[in-house]
Formats: sequence, C-alpha cells, structure tokens
Amino acid sequence: MSRRIVVTGVGLVTPIGSGSRGVWDGFLAGRSGFAPIRSFDSSRFNVHVGAEVPDFEPEEHVRRLDPSRLGRASQLAIGAARMALADAGLDPDTPDFFGAAGLAPERAGVAMGTTSGEPREVERFDDAFLAGGIDAAGPELASRYPCHLIPAHVARELGFAGANVMLPAACAAGNYAIAHAMDLLAAGRADLMLAGGADAFSRITYTGFARLGAIAPEKCQPFDRNRKGMIPGEGAGVLVLETLERARARGARIYAELAGYGLSCDAHHMTAAHPEGDGAARAMSKALGVAGLRPDQVSYISAHGTGTPTNDRLELLAVQKVFGPDGPATPPMSSVKSMIGHTMGAASAIEAAVCALAVATDHIPPTMNLDEPEGDIDFVPNQARQHRVEVAMNNAYAFGGNNASVIFRKVEA
Amino acid sequence: MRRRVVITGAGALSPLGDSPAALHRALAEGRSALKPIELFSLDGLGPRRAGEIRPFEPQAYLGDRNLRPVDRTSRLLLVAAQAALDTSGWTPEARAEREVGLVLGTTFCSIKTIAEFDRRGLQLGPSHASPLDFANSVINAAAGQAAIWHGLRGVNSTVAGGEAAGLLAIANAVDLIAAGRADALLAGGVEELCFESFVGYHKAGRLAPEDGHPVPFDARRNGFAQSEGAALLVLEAEETARQRGAAILGEVLGHASAFDPSAGEGSGAAEAVARAIRLACEEAGIGLDEIGAWSASANGGVKSDRCEALGGALAFGDRAADLPVVAIKAMLGEALGASGAFQAIDLLSSMADGILPGIAGLKTTEEGFPLGSVAAETRLADPEALRRTLVTALSADGTACALVLGRAE
Repeated sequence: MSRRIVVTGVGLVTPIGSGSRGVWDGFLAGRSGFAPIRSFDSSRFNVHVGAEVPDFEPEEHVRRLDPSRLGRASQLAIGAARMALADAGLDPDTPDFFGAAGLAPERAGVAMGTTSGEPREVERFDDAFLAGGIDAAGPELASRYPCHLIPAHVARELGFAGANVMLPAACAAGNYAIAHAMDLLAAGRADLMLAGGADAFSRITYTGFARLGAIAPEKCQPFDRNRKGMIPGEGAGVLVLETLERARARGARIYAELAGYGLSCDAHHMTAAHPEGDGAARAMSKALGVAGLRPDQVSYISAHGTGTPTNDRLELLAVQKVFGPDGPATPPMSSVKSMIGHTMGAASAIEAAVCALAVATDHIPPTMNLDEPEGDIDFVPNQARQHRVEVAMNNAYAFGGNNASVIFRKVEA
Repeated sequence: MRRRVVITGAGALSPLGDSPAALHRALAEGRSALKPIELFSLDGLGPRRAGEIRPFEPQAYLGDRNLRPVDRTSRLLLVAAQAALDTSGWTPEARAEREVGLVLGTTFCSIKTIAEFDRRGLQLGPSHASPLDFANSVINAAAGQAAIWHGLRGVNSTVAGGEAAGLLAIANAVDLIAAGRADALLAGGVEELCFESFVGYHKAGRLAPEDGHPVPFDARRNGFAQSEGAALLVLEAEETARQRGAAILGEVLGHASAFDPSAGEGSGAAEAVARAIRLACEEAGIGLDEIGAWSASANGGVKSDRCEALGGALAFGDRAADLPVVAIKAMLGEALGASGAFQAIDLLSSMADGILPGIAGLKTTEEGFPLGSVAAETRLADPEALRRTLVTALSADGTACALVLGRAE
C-alpha cells in the first residue's frame, strides 16, 4: 500500500507579496503585481511592464548562508521554503529542530523546478566579458549559475540531508518537482519534502518573450477575447509535503492531499502547444487515472492561462477534450497569472499552492482583467468566489512541449 | 508492488567512440579523450585540452532532416538517443503506438546558446536576438528537441545535478517505471563542451592546469579535465520488455541518493556517499559483499575524490581492501551531466566481458588511501564475479547517488 501524501504548508514569494495566507488573501482580492521594470533598463524594448517581486530582502530569509553569494532564484527559493515551513508549524531555527520535529535530516529532502535557474549570472558573465574579455569574467557560470544549486542552497540553509533534486522542466517545472517529491515520499525514500519552483526576473527571459511577440503591454488577460499576451514575472513557491500519517501524528493542519499527477510531452514543437491539445489532454487524463477520479469529480481547475492568444485557445481545446465540449461540463477554471504574470519555473508551484488552499478554504481566486470571455466556460471573472472544492487540478505547460497536471483533494476529517 | 526495471538498449556518443563497444574498447586500452580544443578560442586562458568530440557530423547518424533549429547539445543527445532506440527495438511505429519518454540529466543544457542569445541582444539590440535560440535557451530544451525528433510522447523530464545529474536521471526513470508511471523511458545525460562552462570552471579553480594531472585518486591530482557527450539507457518494465521480446542487457536492482548540506565542510560528503551506497544495496536486496566492482565518479578533483573514496570505505568496511574500483574519467574526462550514464553503460560492458578499465596515469595514491584495489592497468575479472555491480556519482555541490546494476539472467 503506497503512502498517502498531504500538503501541510505553503510558502509564496510573488509580485503581489510574500508569505502564505496573506498572499492567498491577495489572490482572493484580485491584487495586481504588474509594474514598469526596475531590475534592468527596458528602454530598448517596445514593452516595459513586468511582474517583479517588489519587496524581498534576502537578509531576512537567508540566515545561515551568506545571501550575497547566492543567485536571486536561490534567495527567493530559500525565502519561500522558510515561509512554507513556518506555515506548516515548523521552525528550522529552533535548537534541535529535527529532534523536536521527529524528523531525521537524512529523510528531509528538497525538489525544485525552474525555467532559467540563475539567468542573472549569465548576464553578469556576458556584461563582464563584452566589457573586458576573458580576464574580466568571473567564475559565476560554474559557481553560481548551475540551477541544481537552488535546491542545494535551500538544503544547506535548512540542514536537509535527504534527496536533493532540480527538475528544470521550464514553465511546468513546479509541477514536475511536486510530482517527483510525491513519488519519493510514496516510495518511502523521504518523510518530508519541500517541493516547488523558483525563477528570477531576467533580461534574457524578457528579451526572448519580447522577440516572440508574446508580451502584453499593460496587463495580463487570460481567456479574454482581447488578450494581448503574457507578462514575464518572477517568484518562488514551495509546498511542505509529508505523509498523512506523519502529519496526523504531529497534529499538523492539513490543506489537501496530493492525489496524483500526469506528465506527457507533445513531441510537436519547442514553443507552441500541440494544435489539438493532445499532450495536455493526456497529462490530465493520466493524473485523473492515478488519482482514481472521473473528470466530473473535479471542482476547480487552476489553468496554465498565460494570456497569449495561442496558449489559451489550445488550453481550452485540451480541457474540453477531457471534460467534454459543453462549457458547463468544465468546472470553474481561473488563472492567477492575471494577477502575478508568468513567474516561469515558480508558476506551477505557486498555482499548486493555490489549489491546495482552494481545497482547504472552499474559495476560488478570480481570473482578473476578464471582460469578454472566450467561450462559455466559467473563468471566475474578476471576483473570487466561495465554492465547494473537493478536487482541484493544476495544469502547467512548457517549452519543449512539456505538460504536467497535478491533482489535490480534500482529506477526510 | 514495485515493478522490476530492465535495460534493453544503450547509446553513447563520446570523444572516445560513438557506441558503448567503441567506448569500452578505448577505455580498456587506456586511451585519453583529451586533445587541444578547437571548438572555441581560449585567448591565452590556462588549460587548452579537453575531451572534445571531433569531428562531429550529426548528419551521418541522423540523415538529412533539418538540424538548423537544433543546437550542439541537442545534436549530441539526438545521436545517442537514436542509437539507444535502435538497439532496444523501439521503432518509430512502436513509439507512435505506445508512449516512450525521456529523463535527461544535464548541468548546463546549452549555456552557450543562452549566453550567445543574451550577447546578441546586448550588442545589436533586443529586436535582433534570435527567437530560435530563445526556444533552445530553456534548460529542458535538449529533452524537448529529442522528444520532437524521435517522437517521445511520454514523461519528458530534465534533471540537473552537476556531476551526478546523469545517474540521478537514471534513478528517477527507474522509479517512474517501478511505480507504474511509465513503461519505457530513455534515461541518461548530455553535456556539451563550450566556452562559457569552460571559463567558469577554470575561473573557479576546478580544472587541472595544462600540465596538470586530472587523474582520479592519484596523489598528484589537481582538478578535472572537461569533456562532453551523451549517453542513454533504454529502461523499461520487465513485463513490457518480455512482451516485446526485447533482449535484456541488465537490470537496475536499486538506487539511492543523499545530500551533504555542510557545503563541503568535514566528512559530510563521504557520509552521503556511504549512505547512498548502503541504501542502494538495501533496496537491491543484496549484501555489500555481493558487489563485484564499483565504478566511481572520481575525476581528479582534490576534495571530491577523497570524499568518494572515504565514503566507499565507510560503506564497504574491510571489503574496501579488495573491491575492484574503476574510474573511467581518467580517460574520458568529466562529462558532467552525461558522466553517470557513461559510467553505467561502460559497467554493463564490463559485466558482459569481465574487462575492468584501468585508471590510466595512476601512479601513487595519498597516504592512508582507503581503497585497496585501484590499478592503472586494465584488469580481467571473472564475469561471474560481476553479476552485481555499483555505480556512484558525487557532485561537487554535495549530492551523492548510487545505483546497483544486475546482469541479465
């Protein structure tokens, strides 16, 4: 009998604020995180708005390691990890933390995802190299850039000696990391996992999406007929995952059970989704199969919903392949990217936390900026809603044709 | 109930040969992959030799399909994947009918593509950066390109992890199959040699100097030599392989990984290696004395080689005195994300023919070196003694992974 896995804490570092339940309140209030770019000069671009994390002080979160030696994604990840532990009622700074928590350090692991890792280190290298050649370049591409340093830094900061994995599955990476952590816990390879994703706002990412013509000038409007694109962002999301047995034994508050996942690949195009939504539909169906659920048992879908014309159209096609062609057959579906933009490798981790909290609180965050919905699906327009959420599905799609669906459900009392 | 996971194919593209057999022959002969770098100009920078794959003509393996959207890292991967699929009998028709996926280890995917994309935008303005390069700038780009090229519709996962990435990817794939999440997966790693990572490692003091000794476990070692390549196994559920009538090359009996959170202080890394070895053998259901040979991750790194040797000694106890240890990076160099997969593939070759490559260039070990059976010369073991073997990978950043292989019975 495989072990049941539950979510007992979430930590979120986002363009609308950082924390746990406070950020959730921000989502329910429809707060917006879009602002003119501050971290680099955007004057050579024809778009200027981004979704940066405005108020993150690394020193507040990175306490054991030297924050000045870490890349920004590592700093954001450590922040989210500490917030998630605090939310789960665990304080790694207490003396004998592991003993008190009844947790062996060797059984505590970290699984993270990312799209670009520490792209600012590439920028640092390129700036130096173009200005002064090899002599001016530093060791950062070996010592700070490699993305597996993100979970390594989280584990060093917290003293976690169990499995330590980075799954850079681009914009589906958070879901990939959560799925992997679920397997590690279910197979008995770990007792507690921090799982999620992190990405830092970067010139490289912004340049890329600008060249694809994918960036909206002002706001992100997923599923609106007049949507103009996505807005690149940054952030980190981390979930505390542990076995149901362990969570109950320590009297932890349980948000939701991690019920299953499905992964697939379109094998079609690097940056465009399959024209018939093939891979995305297979990922959803697999996740439902693992969870032992029918489509009509899903109460809420957290959409990938980037706000680009193509993504949203093909995503609807895929969803209706699984849930049926009639609008009302699809459960309420919303995209928090309408508030925080596309936080890349962090996106599906943050959205996984949204699903867990929707299950825990029976509330659904809105799709903001939605004036003319595409089709007759309920996108929860512009206003959060109270709604019984037994089962929530978190969908994420990525460059490389990656698809990942993760399912959360209520745990019986 | 965990399903048994067997190996039904292998592909290797290395600077020492483009097949597992050619690689094994070169390693057994003690040939070095190192040669003067031609891929990029070093402008007077320290070391000038690396394990460069040259000449590399992907069309010779992949035919005349358009390779323009595919960068060097992905090309290396496409070739190894083609070979692995060919040996396993997973034809394009079979892959259209049933999902085959990919779990890929890498450290940098293509840092060259990413950095060039950024530099072009800086020099000519953002509107001149190439959208094609941007598609390849994500760290899972090679896995995505391989999926498109080879029609791999199943799980498509990338695992980053420095020197341990390739072995971690194999371990991850084993778990996906064992738990029933997938039936057949390509698993291994890829890494290209490029200016950006080379400069990074040189500046970080990790590379052996031009006249240095990138020799695993040798007392004079002073860093590693960078290398490149791609190596993949085809892993599948035993029942899937039997249904297909596929030849079974071996079995993955168990694996485990551990992390040293101390950032290299004290004995944490050695303990992580020991823990991974013990847990992997436990999962395999065998005693450590049943391991017939050990392929170590050692690459000439001063600290990491010592930690790995100590970790092995901690796990094996008295057995460390006579357990044959191989360290193929003595010849191959450090291929980062591909290394663990190269180790696993070559160990499978050793299990078939009993030939254990020597550690070329090994003269003396440090005082108190705890492993008794390391040799510069290639040795011939009784293949019967190699029914169970061990591969380890240790990243300089603290991740240790161990994998127990079993011979096809």
